[in-house]
Amino acid sequence: MGSDFKILKAARLIDGSGGPVQERAAILLEGDTIRQVGTEETVAAPEGASVEEVDYGDKTILPGLIDSHVHLIGIGDGRAGDELTTLDDEILTLQAARNARAHLYSGVTTVRDCGAKNRTTFLLRNAVEMGITPAPRLLLAGRPMAIVGGHLSYFGIQATGPDECRAGVRQLVKEGADFIKITATGGSTRTSHALRPSFNVDELSAICDEAHKFGIHAAAHCASSQGMINALEAGIDTIIHGIHKEADGTSTYRPEISSRIARTGVFLNATLAGARVRIEMLEDKMESDGLTNQEDVQLDYMMAEYETRLEHFLRMREAGVVMVAGSDSAWGNYPMGDHQTEIETHVIGGMAPMEAIVATTMDAARSCWIDDRVGTLEEGKLADILVVDGNPVDRIEDLRNIADVYQSGEAVNRGDFV
Amino acid sequence: MPTVGEFKLITAGRLIDAKGGPPIDNGAILIHGSSIVAVGRSGEISAPEGADVQILDYPGKTIMPGMVDCHTHHNGFGDGRAGDELTLLDDEILTLQSARNARSSLYSGVTSIRENGPKNYTMFRLRDAINQGITIGPRMVLCGRPVAIIGGHMGYFGSEVTGPNESRAMTRQLIKEGADYIKVTATGGTTRTSFPLKPSFTVEELVAVTDEAHKFGKLTATHCVSSQGIANSLDADVDMIIHCVYKDGDGTDTFRQDIADRIGEKGVYVNPTLHVGRSGRWKLEHKKAAQGLTSEETATLEATYRNNEVRMEDSRKMIEMGLKVITGSDSSWGDYQLGNTVYETELLVEAGYTPMQGVHSVTSDAAKALGLDDLVGTLEAGKEADIIIVDGDPSQDINALWNVDEVFFAGEVVDRGSFDSKTTVRQPPAF
Repeated sequence: MGSDFKILKAARLIDGSGGPVQERAAILLEGDTIRQVGTEETVAAPEGASVEEVDYGDKTILPGLIDSHVHLIGIGDGRAGDELTTLDDEILTLQAARNARAHLYSGVTTVRDCGAKNRTTFLLRNAVEMGITPAPRLLLAGRPMAIVGGHLSYFGIQATGPDECRAGVRQLVKEGADFIKITATGGSTRTSHALRPSFNVDELSAICDEAHKFGIHAAAHCASSQGMINALEAGIDTIIHGIHKEADGTSTYRPEISSRIARTGVFLNATLAGARVRIEMLEDKMESDGLTNQEDVQLDYMMAEYETRLEHFLRMREAGVVMVAGSDSAWGNYPMGDHQTEIETHVIGGMAPMEAIVATTMDAARSCWIDDRVGTLEEGKLADILVVDGNPVDRIEDLRNIADVYQSGEAVNRGDFV
Repeated sequence: MPTVGEFKLITAGRLIDAKGGPPIDNGAILIHGSSIVAVGRSGEISAPEGADVQILDYPGKTIMPGMVDCHTHHNGFGDGRAGDELTLLDDEILTLQSARNARSSLYSGVTSIRENGPKNYTMFRLRDAINQGITIGPRMVLCGRPVAIIGGHMGYFGSEVTGPNESRAMTRQLIKEGADYIKVTATGGTTRTSFPLKPSFTVEELVAVTDEAHKFGKLTATHCVSSQGIANSLDADVDMIIHCVYKDGDGTDTFRQDIADRIGEKGVYVNPTLHVGRSGRWKLEHKKAAQGLTSEETATLEATYRNNEVRMEDSRKMIEMGLKVITGSDSSWGDYQLGNTVYETELLVEAGYTPMQGVHSVTSDAAKALGLDDLVGTLEAGKEADIIIVDGDPSQDINALWNVDEVFFAGEVVDRGSFDSKTTVRQPPAF
């Protein structure tokens, strides 16, 4: 039986590990797996095998992008989660399918969904497996673990006490959860308190312990400092947002939190672009129609917050915190299909383009506990590959110039609108 | 960014307005927003002086109304699975499949559909999502769920009722939920617990449904795969007979001229659904060639040949009588996938329609049958600009309807993706 080999060639290859760019590169695929990475001279299919060769000329080959933070059911039109959740599950599932397609066609081959209503994302995955609709690799939390009235509690889980927390994790695992998302502080949810921690440490510990027992990881939304401290205490694996804010709202950078994150090897997903997208939207509106008083106040506030977030981003990196890219789209005003904006914001925040690429490939894969399968281009890994025009190491915006997307060794038909 | 005109002037080799006349050579149509402003010959119509107009020319091709499919099952897969199995899937998955089918049919040139039986709220939800801009699809005439007796055909979709009161209540319930017409299964069908050769509802129950529906200005249609169901439906003033299979209670095929005459007298529409039977035959023929058939399958194939022939013969008689026979594909039921409505029209032409009559059966006549004719079905001033451009002349060769070059929905070009995307919806004859 003839094997299905492909050789992709291009002027350069970025393997996702942060190592030097391979010039005049070639990569050999067998079925869904990478067999060899090297140069035009060193890479070859086995003697006599039938092989399909694609020469991408002056383009760049790199790993398919990983977005470690999406909300597939989101619309990205500025509506609050409190409103989103009033839509019927069938409609949210249709929106999730639309977002999944948009992300895949834009070069993202893996997403981690950080919270959806009821069973919507699990059912989307069933439909993907049935061939009804295309999607990136899906790592799903299902419903986030929240306290009564807590952030995202309207998606369907509100737990109190270690026993209910443990039961919540078991229920999610039973339904197919790949990781556990926790809201360790309040957030935009109207009945929640963003500046306060939500779960107690014993509750967080029950969740993390139960997740780890099943071999899956836990990621906690933290919009203020005490939430980070509690989550770290409980053995969390990823901190989301990672906002240094005191209970009274002052933005005080807490170096001891950062060094603890760095020391314990916890990942941090800063979600910087959401604010930038909103700021740019308000600035555009200021130009075209002018702003209302309320919008004017919001713009000033958001610009100050954004500056602080960028400054803290830099300080956390200097403290050795591993930053991973996760867009948080389609939350707020940030639609899906544009993970590149988050990556570019990492560069604005001080990363070299190569570091920003690692943050959305190898490091994102490590944070999602899938680095044994994806995230870098090396022998034995799954062939999730992106080919772009230009050289994103020189110009990060070149990540937008998609030439081809390979998912498990197959070129994605990005013109398929059915 | 190119300036997109407020007006669109489309010109082509010919135009079929589907109003009954011959094709107009060098046809042209002027659109403003979502509406048709003028239809005529190229050079004779133009946008108002000084207006911003986008000109689209399709040399040698045909401009015609978007197709109207009077009978679809958007929940379905068309992969041969029984309805009894389909209904086991979660509503969210059925809704996703319905969205995919909606895109397929729209890309194939079908701009209006009447859905004949989905589960629970799935099609209402899909329509909500389309209205919210989440996905796209043709205009939809929805029944919500078919009304069935306990254990009756499609009872599993969620609307089983008994007696005139419950029948009336269910009609009100469906209308409350957003139903545009009421579908009733007046005989059993493929549903395992149903009896295809027997009527389901009593005439009294059917009257309760039709009376209540008509009170709200809604049309009705009944699934009838045996003669008594047709007779009962006519007694109850149903507006469309679906399948219209002439079979006695013992399974004998007897064309009932008396019933056909009554259909004619009452002006009731007939949707024969011929291709869904042929698609099952094709599947067995393909399997026969590829790997051979079991003795049971061989018997099924024999029966299918006979059945297809009888159905074609009966349809021929109805067409000769001048009954109002229209195109309704019944896809994606059985082995027949949405996006392939033309197969049904093709068989109506084989059963006696001229190609032009075939075109009418899937445009103007279909729109009349659905009560959509004030909106779509013909190309004339004031109607919605649901328009397709086809390669070839379907008034000469009905197969030209397969070659859809462009689809305009409410005046806008539908982005159907790549060539692959457009062509994958076609289900090949021998699959």
